[in-house]
Amino acid sequence: MNFELTEEQQLIGQSAREFGKQHLEPIAVELDHTGNFPKAVVNSLAKHDFLGLVLPAEVGGAEAGFGSYVEVIENLSRYCAAVASIVNNHTIAAYTIQHWGTAEQKKQYLPAMAKGDILGGFAIFEHGPTPGVGPDALVAVKHDVGYVLNGKKAYVRNAGEAGVYVVFATTDPAAGAKALTAFLVKADTIGIKIGEKVETMGLKGCPVADITFDNVVLPETALLGAVNEGGAISAKALAIASVAEAAQTVGIGQAAVEHAAAYAKQRVQFGKPVATLQAIQTLLAEVATDCHLARLGVQNAAVLIEEGKPFEVEAAMIKSFLVRLGSKMLIDTCQVEGGFGYSEFMPLPKMFRDIAGTNLLDAPGDFPEKLIAASIA
Amino acid sequence: MSILSPEQQAIKQAAKDFVAKHIIPFAAQYDKTCEFHPYLLEASKESKIFAMAVPKEYGGLNYDALTQALVLEEWGYGCAGMGTTLAASVLSMDSVLVAGNDEQKRRYFTPMLNSEIGAFGLTEPSAGSDAGAGKSTAVKVGDEYILNGTKCWITNGGYATVYVIYALTDPAAGMKGISAFIVERGRPGFTIGTVDHKLGIRSSNTVELLLKDVHVPVTNLLGKEGEGMKIAMKTLDMARPAIAALSVGLAQRALDECVKHVQKTFVGKSYPGQTLQFKLADMQILVDAARNSLHEAMHLRDAGLPFSKESAISKTFCSDVAMQVTTAAVTLMGSYGYAELGKYMRDSKIMQIYEGTNQIQRLVISRAVLAPPPAAAVAQKAGK
Repeated sequence: MNFELTEEQQLIGQSAREFGKQHLEPIAVELDHTGNFPKAVVNSLAKHDFLGLVLPAEVGGAEAGFGSYVEVIENLSRYCAAVASIVNNHTIAAYTIQHWGTAEQKKQYLPAMAKGDILGGFAIFEHGPTPGVGPDALVAVKHDVGYVLNGKKAYVRNAGEAGVYVVFATTDPAAGAKALTAFLVKADTIGIKIGEKVETMGLKGCPVADITFDNVVLPETALLGAVNEGGAISAKALAIASVAEAAQTVGIGQAAVEHAAAYAKQRVQFGKPVATLQAIQTLLAEVATDCHLARLGVQNAAVLIEEGKPFEVEAAMIKSFLVRLGSKMLIDTCQVEGGFGYSEFMPLPKMFRDIAGTNLLDAPGDFPEKLIAASIA
Repeated sequence: MSILSPEQQAIKQAAKDFVAKHIIPFAAQYDKTCEFHPYLLEASKESKIFAMAVPKEYGGLNYDALTQALVLEEWGYGCAGMGTTLAASVLSMDSVLVAGNDEQKRRYFTPMLNSEIGAFGLTEPSAGSDAGAGKSTAVKVGDEYILNGTKCWITNGGYATVYVIYALTDPAAGMKGISAFIVERGRPGFTIGTVDHKLGIRSSNTVELLLKDVHVPVTNLLGKEGEGMKIAMKTLDMARPAIAALSVGLAQRALDECVKHVQKTFVGKSYPGQTLQFKLADMQILVDAARNSLHEAMHLRDAGLPFSKESAISKTFCSDVAMQVTTAAVTLMGSYGYAELGKYMRDSKIMQIYEGTNQIQRLVISRAVLAPPPAAAVAQKAGK
């Protein structure tokens, strides 16, 4: 495997870096304070082709490949991981449509998504133990004209801002998750209610809310993929998403360790910069190492995705790695900056709050280790 | 079953009740608004809990170290920010306990009987871990000292009635020129600077203290001139376990919230498997081990035995455990954790930093465990 980035990947990564510096750095603090959706930034993202990066040219995408995509996410996350979250959730919805949609569905949504005219959302989680089995599971009942959906999806990112949601509902409550089926639901569909914005500890600006479905009638054409194929679709899409989220972790971690190293060089205690103390060197070195290894894992998975090879085990490995070590990158870099670094007037607290949201285990019965263990032969 | 005495159990229960009534219901609100609210002091009046470390002869509750830790764990369980308010007040008192004379003790402790609080002013922008590198000065003129300087990250600074402030009486002597003073609120020239906005413990008040030609009588000097560093170190030895106690409370709370959420999510169903169950078990193992290390240090202190090493170990271990357990809680509980349990993770981070970073604690611990290298080996290495 080649670990050199291609020239194209380097250029795209560089342009994301410049975009972050120019468009995200100036607004990151305010976005974190207000939590308001950064509409202007999303428009700029669209102009720079970051919203259709992995989509094919025929729908107006940049057709750049997943290796370039994770470069973009890492570089945007250096400046504001919340914006990278918006992009990720949009992209995962677009990816799902691209792979499982009919020609008609692709034509209907993807050009608008590539242009940023509509944003995507991905509604899989529920408040119950697994989608399809909780007390307010989203249930789809077959009807003459299509399907009627009732229930609730939980913690949907881009909620309220997306124009189309990829929604997973069970067609058979007795079968629960096994009967998960994917639907494309337009935001203006009658019967959909976006709940109150959920206050999260970080990634503010990427809206999170529950979505309630009250007798939502969908035509047959809203079905994405086959009936009961939703489990397979969501597993693959979430695996893709976890690689992109890992790229967010890497971007935040890298920015934090660079900031902490610079701080350590100028912070004088005991008559010399604390960077000269081995205790501080060890903290910084371990974070830099974890970050580097995570990046290699991300790039490895990205190449597999790009080449259409199985990548799910590698994606699970990165997730498992970062569940253990992702937040630790900020726990330890904050430690280097001590009392100063604990102040919200400094940049690391926001990163501390953001990074914690990039490695969540949202499926309590389905830890990444399960897939990894099963793959060992 | 409990190895605590009936009296300790009763005090722990009273603290639990207080926390349930006066702290837990307000914790999220003041975390959100980032403000210390004096209602906490008002509510504490009846129990005199802010005088829990004050000896009997001064009218206090005279709790032993273990009992104080039990109370602080409960406060940490309810809100580590409000727990910090109590811990920091006790910290400032400890300096007076260590070095104050009878008159000074009476003067310093009396406000605490009425639920007023104290603040401990050692840290300066240039003197964090290097506590001896402060630049504040105290110059003796007649029967007064005149204090000048800036203190930073002073917990309770904006609301305290009494302060213990460290300043150089002999700048040329460096660390050996530091002295400790009682400074009362309201002395001319003694003002509050920037109020810090922090990642966590947001309901505790953290400020800069500005001292500009602040006059205090010589009777406000604690101990002798030049004893400041010794007093500060002894104070921190005594006070560090308070951070361990808050940490244990924080970690236990995060775990309890996870358990509650899991039970609610899986009601009527079987739990999903060993991965989740064992992770919760690991969290409980850590919390129990942390609590035990703290209680050991407190038993030693209450028995009058040396406890510096154990104090440092419990502060380090308990705060590392709090960080680990609260982080696991957020991650394990997924989006729910990220929305509902983030405060515990944010609060935990300071436990590894304040009252001596865990790196400073490891310095203390490593000195205690690692005897100096054998002379022969050193000579050989030096090429002699």
